[in-house]
Amino acid sequence: MNEHKILIIGGGPAGMETAYQLKKLGLKPVIIERSDKLGGHLAQWDRLFPASDDAEALLEKMREQCIDIEKRLNTRITNITKENNIFHVSLSNGNSYDADAIVLCTGFDLFKAERKQEYGYGIYNNVITNAELEHYFKTHNDERINEPKKIGFVHCVGSRDVKVNNTYCSKVCCATALKQACEIKEEFPDSDVYCFYMDLRMFGKGYEDLYLKAQKDFDIKCVRGRVCEVSENIEGKLVIKAEDTLLGTPMKMTLDLLVLMCGMEKASGIERIQNMLNIKSNADGFIETRDTFYGLNHTKEEGVFVAGACTSPKTLPDTIAEARAAAVEVFNYLKDNGQQTFSLRF
Amino acid sequence: MRPIFDPFVLPFVLGMTFVLLYCIIGMTRIIFQLPKEDRRKFVRSLITPKTLWKDIKELFNDCLFHVKIWKRKPLLGYMHSSIAFGWFMIIILGHMESVAFSPFKDMQLPLMEKMASNLYLPIFFRFFAIEDASLKAQIYCFLMDFFLLMIISGIVIAVVKKKKPKNVGLKRVTKFGIREDLVRISLWTIFPLRFLAEASIAGITGGSFLTEFIGNKLIFGGSYNETLSLILWWLYSIDLAIFMFVLPFTRYMHIPAEALLILLRNAGLKTTEPRKGYAVAEIYSCPSCGLCIDVCPMSEVKDNYKNTAVYFIRNIRKRKRRRDVKNMTEKCLMCGKCIEVCPLGIESLDIKMAQRAKTYYKIKSDFSYLESCKDTESQSRQDEKSLKTVYFAGCMSHLTPKITRSMKSIFEAAKENYEFIDADGSICCGRPMMLTGKVKEAKTLIAKNTELIKKSGANRLVLSCPICYKVFKEEYQLDGIEILHHTQYINELIETERLNIDRSDKRYAYHDPCELGRAFGVYDEPRNIIDNIGLLTQGKSDKDMSVCCGGSIGSLTITLEERDEITKNSLKDITVNKPDEIVTACPLCLKTFARLSPINVKDIAEIVNENINVS
Amino acid sequence: MMDDIDLELFNKLEALNPDIKTCMACGLCTATCTTGKFTDMSFRKVILMLQRGKDKEAIEKVKSCMMCGKCMMVCSRGINTRNILLSITRIYNER
Repeated sequence: MNEHKILIIGGGPAGMETAYQLKKLGLKPVIIERSDKLGGHLAQWDRLFPASDDAEALLEKMREQCIDIEKRLNTRITNITKENNIFHVSLSNGNSYDADAIVLCTGFDLFKAERKQEYGYGIYNNVITNAELEHYFKTHNDERINEPKKIGFVHCVGSRDVKVNNTYCSKVCCATALKQACEIKEEFPDSDVYCFYMDLRMFGKGYEDLYLKAQKDFDIKCVRGRVCEVSENIEGKLVIKAEDTLLGTPMKMTLDLLVLMCGMEKASGIERIQNMLNIKSNADGFIETRDTFYGLNHTKEEGVFVAGACTSPKTLPDTIAEARAAAVEVFNYLKDNGQQTFSLRF
Repeated sequence: MRPIFDPFVLPFVLGMTFVLLYCIIGMTRIIFQLPKEDRRKFVRSLITPKTLWKDIKELFNDCLFHVKIWKRKPLLGYMHSSIAFGWFMIIILGHMESVAFSPFKDMQLPLMEKMASNLYLPIFFRFFAIEDASLKAQIYCFLMDFFLLMIISGIVIAVVKKKKPKNVGLKRVTKFGIREDLVRISLWTIFPLRFLAEASIAGITGGSFLTEFIGNKLIFGGSYNETLSLILWWLYSIDLAIFMFVLPFTRYMHIPAEALLILLRNAGLKTTEPRKGYAVAEIYSCPSCGLCIDVCPMSEVKDNYKNTAVYFIRNIRKRKRRRDVKNMTEKCLMCGKCIEVCPLGIESLDIKMAQRAKTYYKIKSDFSYLESCKDTESQSRQDEKSLKTVYFAGCMSHLTPKITRSMKSIFEAAKENYEFIDADGSICCGRPMMLTGKVKEAKTLIAKNTELIKKSGANRLVLSCPICYKVFKEEYQLDGIEILHHTQYINELIETERLNIDRSDKRYAYHDPCELGRAFGVYDEPRNIIDNIGLLTQGKSDKDMSVCCGGSIGSLTITLEERDEITKNSLKDITVNKPDEIVTACPLCLKTFARLSPINVKDIAEIVNENINVS
Repeated sequence: MMDDIDLELFNKLEALNPDIKTCMACGLCTATCTTGKFTDMSFRKVILMLQRGKDKEAIEKVKSCMMCGKCMMVCSRGINTRNILLSITRIYNER
């Protein structure tokens, strides 16, 4: 007979933190991760807003905490059935688990910039995404970024836009844009950097300081207006069109580099697992939670929990806090239900 | 000896007189409502042998045989032609028979009486004349019975269609009021009553296999009951009278109206006023068959089937409900599918456009700013004479840089001497303005664009947007400049081997944009291009049956939610054979589909560009 | 004074086109506007001006619109801008 575990689907920050906390609570978490390493999107990032902290350091700490935890990398879920509150989970590597609870930490996908064709991603060479810029900061290896003199950041790409079916705010792009704007200005001090925003949503701790720093120390120019079209002039430079809504005049601008702040979307392929567990999506396409307050870590299916950006766009601190809360919720659930895990241990 | 008159013929005679007078007056009114020039055209068409021959051919094909319905739905085709053609034959043969075997032939009757009797005699011939034993009479009897049977078989299908539309391949049929029910029941019962009346007397006056052998022998036991027979003849006559008295106020008005419509259409007339002249002929020609309901993309959205052409025409015919007519006019996507399936080819979009042109806008457009607009780019061009082709991408294509980018590299690969005249934006082509009903204002835009394009000195104009294409083809006078959509242009490049394409094994589905496909029949060029690149998969409804993408600017009032439903439905149709990618040829279709499509959507220029053989 | 403006016509417009309320002033319509290349047409500003009682200025802008529908294509809130412009030309008077 299989030993009963708690299955954590997804090995990003939410999954790692949940697993670590469950372990500390004396339970037996297993992380199932489809890629070959833990870390999720965090592993792609160089520095983190608001204070440009080293992403690598945070990731290292999180990975260290997970050293003793059972992990299945390069593994996908092939089937889940539920019987008397026990989940029978089959994996792509042929293994199977019996789990008392499942925590979905499946995270998000970055919006695919080519879906917003008018921004010219994949068409014009000098249009890049926030993730690609972060990769550049990490590796300094990107031919497209070559001493740019004029750089633009487009906020809300794939967010707050019914024309791509994403009407929600992705929450992290405003701060990321300003952080990256400062960083690229640091890299190319002679450049002019413009941020095209609709609203600067600087809600978190330290975000307003970041805004101030961007204005004061880095001379980042914020233009209130959404970019509508990108084209190329004869010299091959980008020409963007937007309205400067504060002046109320349309503006055209030539740029050397345009960075698209792609928002968060539901992770692709998550429907497959949702169907196995009979869990619905909310109006934004993310996983539906039981309610908006007390049930934030719960789904409508008993024994299936959620943490992190799989339920809505979230910042890293939010995600970590939610992961910890999820661990407690799982603990309470198992205890209240007198699950086998508990009878074995307590 | 049979009597030569019986009072039961009176209801029929009155009904017939009424309907004839009504039609003559109506027809005269329509002809007088036509603009003078149109009226002249109409008269001219009637004395031109070529159009006259066309008239006759179409009268037979469309009014009697219903060739168009046969092509779409054979069963419905049979239903219609059996009733229409059968009835026609019974009338013709009845007249021939009554001339050949007239019981009054040898009588000395006053001329008036003779003429009057000719009105009813062919219809009630069996009552008045006794069949003689000649072969000729036998043949007449047989033919009359044969066509009667044909009509009755058609009516049986009609009853089935009414009860279970699915059996004849229809999802939805038109809903009718009491008047229409009455006329339908009267029509359905005319021929069964005729059969019974003729059968009841067949033992005396004669008949053939249906009336005499089946009817008289089996139903009436071979005997003749005078009272019963007379009652049946009365019922038959009254039924005919009911049909004829109600006919002008029901959908069956299409029977006489269609004939007029064919003549007017062949004279080259079009709708100019939404409630006058040609439009009236079209409105009365609508048989309310409802074939347009199932095909209207709007029907996919709950309750919106009420906006389909058949209901629009019905409302406009009722002369009230102006508000409904206005709303329906403005909601329509103008995709033209209803016209494509209409067995009568009623151009309801022209009526809608004429109706839109009636909208009163208090604020008038003012394009005086265009006067100062100069074509700066063409001024800077160096050798103006050698320019062959201008490329006009159109407003929407500026939101789809993949199209303009691909076109640029295709021009370059084909070594075309071209200029992208609206690279930096342009004046709108005028089609969207036309669609709002502001024709005069649209003409201002058209005039300005014409001026700019002519100044370029090119002899070809390549367009990327079918919306532009339509208005350029129909409204622009660019004498000498060939107008091509890029599908046509690229196809020509491939056929003349100016562009070499590599093959891939990708499977493409092609969506026909309404204003390229249905409007101009550009079906083969894009398919030929795709055949050169990969494999073309069939959609559920292709070519002239292609479903609007939902993004049409033809509709002024449709909401985004409603558009989405249409888009999803259209996508379902296109992807039925699991293509790898969807290909279309319109920036608007592209953007609309890309929002909701589970697979990649590309413009045809894009897939060509991806597969250009550079070596 | 904002207190003195007469919004009767605007309310009528809003009742006919409730989506007018959902504008978030992102400026896409203005930026993409075909007419905007030649004039100071701005759909966003037209709505705002009508809402603030500056009918005259708004109407001047509306008159130059070519009805191409690009603003409708880009609108992040899916507003039927084209129909709203038509409604304005029907509801408001040129004076």
